[in-house]
Amino acid sequence: MAKPIFFLLLLIFSSSCVAVREYDKVYLNDVEMQLGARASERFETNFHIYREASSGANGGKTGGGCGCN
Amino acid sequence: MVERPEAVVVVIDMGTVTTKRKNNVTLSMNKKLPILLFIFGLTLSTAWAQQDDTSYKRRVLETSEVDLLFSYYNQDGVHAAVTGGEGTEELTDATSTIVLRMPMNEDDVLTVDVGLSAYTSASSSNVNPLDGGITVSPFDASSGESRKDLLAYINPTYTHNSEDRNKIWSANAYLSSEYDYFSIGFGGSYTRLFNEKNTEITLSGRVFLDKWNPVYPIELRDGFFDDRITGPGTYNPIFTEFDTETRNSYSLSLSFSQVLTKKLQGALFLDLVSQNGLLSTPFQRVYFSDFADFFIDDFQLADNVEQLPNNRFKVPFGGRLNYYLNDLIVLRSYYRYYWDDWGITSHTASLEAPFKLSDKFTLYPTYRYYTQTAADYFYPKEQALSTNEFYTSDYDLSNYNAHQYGMGVQYRDIFTSASILNFGLKTIDLRFSKYDRSDGLNAYIITLGTTFIGN
Repeated sequence: MAKPIFFLLLLIFSSSCVAVREYDKVYLNDVEMQLGARASERFETNFHIYREASSGANGGKTGGGCGCN
Repeated sequence: MVERPEAVVVVIDMGTVTTKRKNNVTLSMNKKLPILLFIFGLTLSTAWAQQDDTSYKRRVLETSEVDLLFSYYNQDGVHAAVTGGEGTEELTDATSTIVLRMPMNEDDVLTVDVGLSAYTSASSSNVNPLDGGITVSPFDASSGESRKDLLAYINPTYTHNSEDRNKIWSANAYLSSEYDYFSIGFGGSYTRLFNEKNTEITLSGRVFLDKWNPVYPIELRDGFFDDRITGPGTYNPIFTEFDTETRNSYSLSLSFSQVLTKKLQGALFLDLVSQNGLLSTPFQRVYFSDFADFFIDDFQLADNVEQLPNNRFKVPFGGRLNYYLNDLIVLRSYYRYYWDDWGITSHTASLEAPFKLSDKFTLYPTYRYYTQTAADYFYPKEQALSTNEFYTSDYDLSNYNAHQYGMGVQYRDIFTSASILNFGLKTIDLRFSKYDRSDGLNAYIITLGTTFIGN
């Protein structure tokens, strides 16, 4: 399951390193296109860290700092 | 890379929702809260004192911004770990957080994230089920002090950008306190943008040095006696207190983001996390299949508390892919694969489709799917053997899947036409999510977030 997804993502990223000019980034600069999680999403991420065994790989907390799993 | 002034600030979230907390909060928090507030005040006064620079260079952050965030969380279930995998998991949590982002000069930004979280929990009240409940049962909450707790934290982050804005350094610290858990942490990151800011790589590291103030189930504490105990023979658990009370976590993170087309961009994340120390939760009971059962009323007394290895290595790997479908809809997707050496693997996938109702209002439905395998050491109630080296009946470490459905609405006014005092209102974000887990745990969370910018 994980391997096909990994290679698919690798394929997408390795074959698409275009250089979009700053003046062509009107869509990419849309606030909804930001690659980070929304600020209001942090509390949901927090309870996932407590209630689920896994965490990390989302640009946020990876474990520690709490008595959670 | 796409200009994302807010995204360059590393903010570590703090856990706010837990059934794994315990006991009387007043003494400890009364001591530690003033220290946190003092550090917070000192940081702010330093920050504002340095905002007199009048350079003409474009700043990374033009004016100060303030996020005010509130959440209310509620959960219920029947597999409380405190009562050995069988008992109420009812819990409510209310959290308030303030995040301040302040430009220190043209290149630097200080972010101070401070919060307070208060919860009441039926399951953690059963660390001591005898201190107030009329009926002693794992499915009833005790009214004693152990049913509530308070968490306070502060997380300052300082970020420096290079002249050409292609290099970003950040350093952060973390401090949190609650009755039975204290944490101090620090970290740093380095970001490099190239390929006309179409490619971004970030390397970051973090260390948490945590300390338990272990609280054990009442029946396992020294000197416990109750003449209501029933069972065959004499109640004789195998419990001994943990030698180690520290928990250290070290993480190394690599992220890579790439503009793929004029309407598509994505990111990959890889974390390597190592933890050591007391990874068991000291008040989570376990009942053995080869031990006789003893009770006080309907409440079964512990045979031991959970025993988990003192080391854990985790490897989460994930990615985001965002696509600008048209002027009305954006598709935001996320996937994560997770592995650790306790035998757990998991998959997480989520999709969000923000729909623009107008220039200022956006509606965004969300869906998230999660599935995990059980830890090697997980046993349902009465299935672990006393001869096992490691065991737990914490259903958070069991095999299950979960669906989460949500809806949010966001108001966004970049011209901040509305204002309060001297701050313009930039965004209001209200969201609701419902979480259903296959083992019977259900939860919902309501979040309200607002952003103000200084005029």
